[in-house]
Amino acid sequence: MSEVAVKETMLNFISGEIDATSDSVAIKAINLRGRDALESTAFPTRKDEDWRFIDLKSITRNNFVSVSSAGVKEAGDISDHYLPESLNTRMVFVNGVYNEELSSIEGLPNKVIVGNLSEYGDHDAVKEHLGTITNYENDAFAPLNDAAFKDGAFIYLPEETSVETPIHILNIFTDSDKAFYATPRLLFVGEMYSKATIIEEHIGLADNVYLNVPVTEFRLFAGAHVHHARIQRDSKQANHVSRPIAMLDQHAEYHSYTICLGAKLFRNDPRVIQNAQEVDFTVDGLVLIDGEQIADTHSIMDHRFAHGKSHQLHKVVVNDSAHSIFNGKIFVAKDAQKIDSFQENRNLLLSEEGTVHTKPQLEIFADDVLCSHGATIGHLNDEEVFYLHSRGLTEQKSRELLVYAFALESVESMEVDSVEKMLLEEVIQYTNRDLKG
Amino acid sequence: MLEIKNLHAKVEGEDIEILKGVNLKVNAGEIHAIMGPNGSGKSTLSKVVSGHPEYEVTEGEILFNGEDITELDADERAHLGLFLAFQYPVEVPGITNKTLLREAYNTIARANDREELDPLEFEDYLIEKLNVIEMKDEFLNRSINTGFSGGEKKKNEIFQMAVLNPKLSFLDETDSGLDIDALKVVSDGVNKIASNDNAIVMITHYQRLLNYIKPDFVHVMMAGKIIKSGDIKLAEELEAHGYDEMQKELALNGEAQ
Repeated sequence: MSEVAVKETMLNFISGEIDATSDSVAIKAINLRGRDALESTAFPTRKDEDWRFIDLKSITRNNFVSVSSAGVKEAGDISDHYLPESLNTRMVFVNGVYNEELSSIEGLPNKVIVGNLSEYGDHDAVKEHLGTITNYENDAFAPLNDAAFKDGAFIYLPEETSVETPIHILNIFTDSDKAFYATPRLLFVGEMYSKATIIEEHIGLADNVYLNVPVTEFRLFAGAHVHHARIQRDSKQANHVSRPIAMLDQHAEYHSYTICLGAKLFRNDPRVIQNAQEVDFTVDGLVLIDGEQIADTHSIMDHRFAHGKSHQLHKVVVNDSAHSIFNGKIFVAKDAQKIDSFQENRNLLLSEEGTVHTKPQLEIFADDVLCSHGATIGHLNDEEVFYLHSRGLTEQKSRELLVYAFALESVESMEVDSVEKMLLEEVIQYTNRDLKG
Repeated sequence: MLEIKNLHAKVEGEDIEILKGVNLKVNAGEIHAIMGPNGSGKSTLSKVVSGHPEYEVTEGEILFNGEDITELDADERAHLGLFLAFQYPVEVPGITNKTLLREAYNTIARANDREELDPLEFEDYLIEKLNVIEMKDEFLNRSINTGFSGGEKKKNEIFQMAVLNPKLSFLDETDSGLDIDALKVVSDGVNKIASNDNAIVMITHYQRLLNYIKPDFVHVMMAGKIIKSGDIKLAEELEAHGYDEMQKELALNGEAQ
């Protein structure tokens, strides 16, 4: 067969025009950049190393339209999803569009901003940092967000400020007539010695098909401390391709925890870049999937300077025909000595039909570092099951408890009580489904 | 209470029989000791009685209070009042002792139409039972056996036994790996639990345990069978002459193969 020169791009799976660019100069520049990249970036295929194992059919068999032409439904009453800890630090986006009515921002410390990006285009931090660290080369997905986003969460913490309550960024997705793409955006800028907890949630209210392509940018200056929980509970038919990235200056700490429960297809490429000596970061994940779900995490822990400490625990439970992929890259540059990096991927496979691919990928050019990695794939341990079973618990209950215990450690990292409680309920629901052997 | 008749068993999917016709009768209020060399089948016996899915009964039956339990699942046997103290207690990270015990206690209570205990009542009940085995209450909130010393694990087995209050307990080499202090605490715990209403079968390699928990009956198991039964004197005899001597003597008398 003759080689066809025309490559597919993201635009092949988008129908109709992308909405007009933003009125904000800063955002418009990113919109235009994204539109260029959309046209020039090839859509990934199985031949691309980073896309070898993932089946993108649930994206490529669709034509996604913009939210404005998808016939999206109202969100209705979503107060069940509000966090009691964040009653006055909550931003709600419905299908990527900021909803002021459902949001509640009150009593923030002086000069702290938690607001809609579209209103802060003139802010120095937006002008300087929006879109600067999200340089995903050859990426077909981030440009869609760049091209189409208008609203977004902008969180700005001046020097030595701390927001006591968790900031809840609640992304709600509603039912629709047509499959749509949504482009949630989050820019966080923490000046020196600032401190905050961010809970970024994605919730699908219905069972509809959509493509959620969030981009989150975290810029932490010296001594800033951030706890970032990301909870993905998209519609079970949705596609979620996210690009969370963080850049850290000296003594900054960034601890991120991604929980994957929903979506038909989940692809997450978290990246943390060390921008100065002595940083500390976490890129943990918990994936609970069943049915035909696919969850793929391709992370990069990019150590560019000396004395960095990093940690990654990626836990996965696979039931039915679900498929998990993990590729954890640890980069250590030549002069980045005394890096202490730890990566562990633990997979619990509950069914014969489930699939797990795991690949640690260490590229270390410094010679005085402590980097370790490990990956395990296992079934539930028969002796553990029998031990509980012999104490009077049914075999099913014994299995449920063991899966629960496996997931518990990750849930306990949340640090926000109501989030922990909600996740434990999710874990129990997951284990209450038919657990295979 | 327990009657084992001509019990034959093998590992599921394999051909080699490990139990080759075990007969044993245990009444309420009795303490039995089964002794035997490694590989004689005594641990297998305890697993088969408790319903371990790895083993298959090929012949014979296990009666518990007159009911044939040979085909029952492990949890159903636990509901009837059977308990196995494991030779190698399993570490279960992430599940606390308290969680397991409350779940187990209430499941057994439900199965027997007894009242379940709410978390507060259960906490009080647990703390009372801790005395049996001289355990600190911090044990309750630790993950099951995770990071426990050998002695702590064995104590934890006896603690679970005290909490679940079984009718019949198999203690599989509960003495192995214990130092003398731990052995005394564990034995003391077992003696406190033993009553006229329950029964205990100790499986052990050594006679030492029997100095602390006095059995009413001693059985010697070899090559998958109980070849001799008697009282404590049998254990003393074994201690003095060893298993080989006994086997030879029995062979001479034509009592064993």
